[in-house]
Amino acid sequence: MTNFSWIDGSIVGLYIVATMIAGVAVRKYVGKVEHFLIAGREMNLYLGIASLAATEFGIVTCMYTSQNGYKNGFAGATPGILAMLAMFFVGYTGFCVKPLRDAGVITIPELFEVRYGPRIRWAAGVVIVLGGLLNMGVFLRTGGDFLVAVCGFDPKYLEITMTALLVFVAVYTVLGGMLSVLVTDFLQFVVMSGGLLAVTVLILVNIGWSDLVAAVQKHHGAGGFNPLIKPEMGWKYIADNALLSLAMVLTWQTTIQRLLAAKDTRTGQQVYTRTSVFFLCRWLIPVLWGIAALAILDPLEVGDNTLLAMPMMLSRITPVGLMGILVAAMLAADMSTDAAYMLTWSSVIYNDILAPFHKRQWSEKRGLIVSRSLVAIIGVFLLLYGLWYPLQGSLWDYLRVTGNIYLSSMSVLLVACCYWKRANSWGAAGAIVCGAVIPTAFLVMEQLPSTQHFAKVVVGPEYSNIATYIIATTAMVVGSLLKPQTKAVAAKGY
Amino acid sequence: MPEHWFWFLATAVCVGWYSTITIYVAIRGALDIKNMLRRLAGDSGEASE
Repeated sequence: MTNFSWIDGSIVGLYIVATMIAGVAVRKYVGKVEHFLIAGREMNLYLGIASLAATEFGIVTCMYTSQNGYKNGFAGATPGILAMLAMFFVGYTGFCVKPLRDAGVITIPELFEVRYGPRIRWAAGVVIVLGGLLNMGVFLRTGGDFLVAVCGFDPKYLEITMTALLVFVAVYTVLGGMLSVLVTDFLQFVVMSGGLLAVTVLILVNIGWSDLVAAVQKHHGAGGFNPLIKPEMGWKYIADNALLSLAMVLTWQTTIQRLLAAKDTRTGQQVYTRTSVFFLCRWLIPVLWGIAALAILDPLEVGDNTLLAMPMMLSRITPVGLMGILVAAMLAADMSTDAAYMLTWSSVIYNDILAPFHKRQWSEKRGLIVSRSLVAIIGVFLLLYGLWYPLQGSLWDYLRVTGNIYLSSMSVLLVACCYWKRANSWGAAGAIVCGAVIPTAFLVMEQLPSTQHFAKVVVGPEYSNIATYIIATTAMVVGSLLKPQTKAVAAKGY
Repeated sequence: MPEHWFWFLATAVCVGWYSTITIYVAIRGALDIKNMLRRLAGDSGEASE
């Protein structure tokens, strides 16, 4: 039973039409590939904050963070605290991001070419796209699951919901690229934030702080408030998430694309520092929603699929009218994320993987046609992958492992590129291979019945991820020291 | 101060900060879009001359 009515449907319809009009209207400003991929580097501070916040909060974010709240209580918001600290530290100090923005590149692999050579640039592009697409592959299904559960649709409409979502997003992203993404991100930030805050206030007023705390105490005990004493978490969870947060802030392509689209380095750093608190909000607010589900739903009713606990709770407590705002807000969150992600991976494919083919010699018109086609192809991939991939275990675990396919090696390559003169192509190649092999092997082992127990219980995602960072760093150091360096290369820097 | 003050404080900061920044960014972000599109329109005009 849900409170979704025709009034709510009208609110959602109005929002979608407004977004489409705004997204398509700016296509006339796209005359060059640089406009399409990084908005001609004309993004200012507040638009950057809105865009980064909207991009980094999708339905998928809300689902995995609320699942973390349901399964771990308040301690489930720990990754948000770590992400906030990492974001502030990097923005304040300019660690890696300053030299990256100063270099005037479009993507991170472009920076790598100067230090490590064209082959490493190409390989970096491949792992970034591989990890990014696997990561994004579950976004559509998760978004569809949420909408079906909250709106009370028949589950047989899941595929149609997913396809419709994708088509809406693809139309304006293909036409307007980063410009459409920025303008729609802004609208989506306003709608999304209004909806998130309204529902959070509704939960705090209707359920109350004391009942939320009591629910966590009852189901998780003291571990629900302190990750260090929760058996499933502990130091390994914190170390894993701290490494992931720093790597994400430094190299997550959608985050970096905002830095690179900023009008100058200072603006880029300010976007980081001023968005840092949002990275706590994007965890703590949905964690509260997950705890609310814990407080009002019977665990037997939720069953094993804890991912759907939060949407089930929302379908019960959200009244008519606010339900429409909530669904519009979540659609806003999802559309901004999908659009930005499709664009960002297509930019890496165009700029880095296809670099040996176009050699910067294609006309702007041809470059735009190829870039737009890439966005459309990624959309089709997302639809197919979302339909057949069976998600095993926690969604956040899956996203961490797939993200680490490139986050580990790219962060090691970036830090070494900016601050270690002896870093070279041997070390970079070793880090890329080690960084990709370990998480990929973990994902495969998790799916195979014969190795499932070993992967999930004996190793676990935390140790797999920590090992990936340690081994990628070791490979970079050993590889770089093994290769004799010529004086010319040593003096070149980036 | 309510029980588990750390999480209470974190929640209060999140809701307070997020409400404020939403209103502020909604106003300043709209101006940023206007300026960005004006500069891009100028850029296209110069390129076509």
